[in-house]
Amino acid sequence: MSLTPEELSQQIKEARAKQDQNLEIQPPKIGEQNGAATGKALRAASDLVAALVVGGFLGYWVDRWLHTLPLFLIIFFFLGFGAGFLNIYRAQMSESAANKIDNDVSKTDKEEK
Amino acid sequence: MAHNPLEQFVIRPIVPLHIGNIDVSFTQSALWMGIAVVLATVLMTLSMQKRAMVPGRWQNVAEMFYEFINGMVRENLGPEGAKYFPFVFSIFMIVLMGNLLGMVPYSFTYTSHIIVTGVLACMVCLLALVVGLVKHGGHFFSLFLPKGLPWPLIPLIVAIEIISYLSHPVSLSVRLFANMVAGHTMLKVFAGFSVTLITVTFGAVLGLLPLVVNVALIGLEIMIAFIQAYVFAILTCIYLKDAIELH
Repeated sequence: MSLTPEELSQQIKEARAKQDQNLEIQPPKIGEQNGAATGKALRAASDLVAALVVGGFLGYWVDRWLHTLPLFLIIFFFLGFGAGFLNIYRAQMSESAANKIDNDVSKTDKEEK
Repeated sequence: MAHNPLEQFVIRPIVPLHIGNIDVSFTQSALWMGIAVVLATVLMTLSMQKRAMVPGRWQNVAEMFYEFINGMVRENLGPEGAKYFPFVFSIFMIVLMGNLLGMVPYSFTYTSHIIVTGVLACMVCLLALVVGLVKHGGHFFSLFLPKGLPWPLIPLIVAIEIISYLSHPVSLSVRLFANMVAGHTMLKVFAGFSVTLITVTFGAVLGLLPLVVNVALIGLEIMIAFIQAYVFAILTCIYLKDAIELH
């Protein structure tokens, strides 16, 4: 089977159009986004608990040193709670800042098109 | 048949060795760490040996890892962050290899031990601390003192900031360790259901059900292996970024 150059270029054009269509239909990397989202969720939980543990441990340590159990344990437990939320807040803020940049970039991309 | 879902985490010496009172035996944990290092090195060097313009299968894998981490480092640390790339890449590969090798039957998951993940996390946080101190000197400690803070709040906020900072290595190590332990225990528990169910009526059929769940769980575990390595690497970048930029 031999093709004339015109027929061949026609076929290439059709194949390219088909490929472009396929590319447009494809949703952007769903699996990757799911993975990253799961990572973020796991991060928030462990960030909160870790700060509580560190706060509790520090409080207990100060109490052992000053023989004031459970005064500082309670104080540092609440400080740890605050620190845990600070961790989560920071993570979310940097996340939304990154998202905003992403959205802006994709917007300008579309405008250019 | 007795089975304990936690038995898989017991560390067994292969070559018992004692120096004084310190046990420095070569354990199966150390063996698998060695395998991970050798495997990662072989994968990266052999697959890049050809340096083909059009990458083959293995070269593609190596380039994918490289570009993934390189993109992560550049995105978080900017172009000058390139000097931290080897560190982040090594951390990523050792965690990923540990998690994935743990999925091989009869192997040992060294990332399921808090001492291993703890040392990795401490390495990351100490590096961030040293980088911050070298770059900013004493000014580094302004990290704990947000700007424009009314003075009555200073003790409270500084305490919270310090606890938050100290929680980084704890959170980093506990997350990886807990995920690995939970996943592998769950696999063993479901496998145990199969064994128990075989003894009852229609056991041969009923015993297949936990097996089906286990197949799905193994898929999930492989995904978790990648996600945890990714989270470990990206947090390494974020902590380094905090130390460099002093938010």
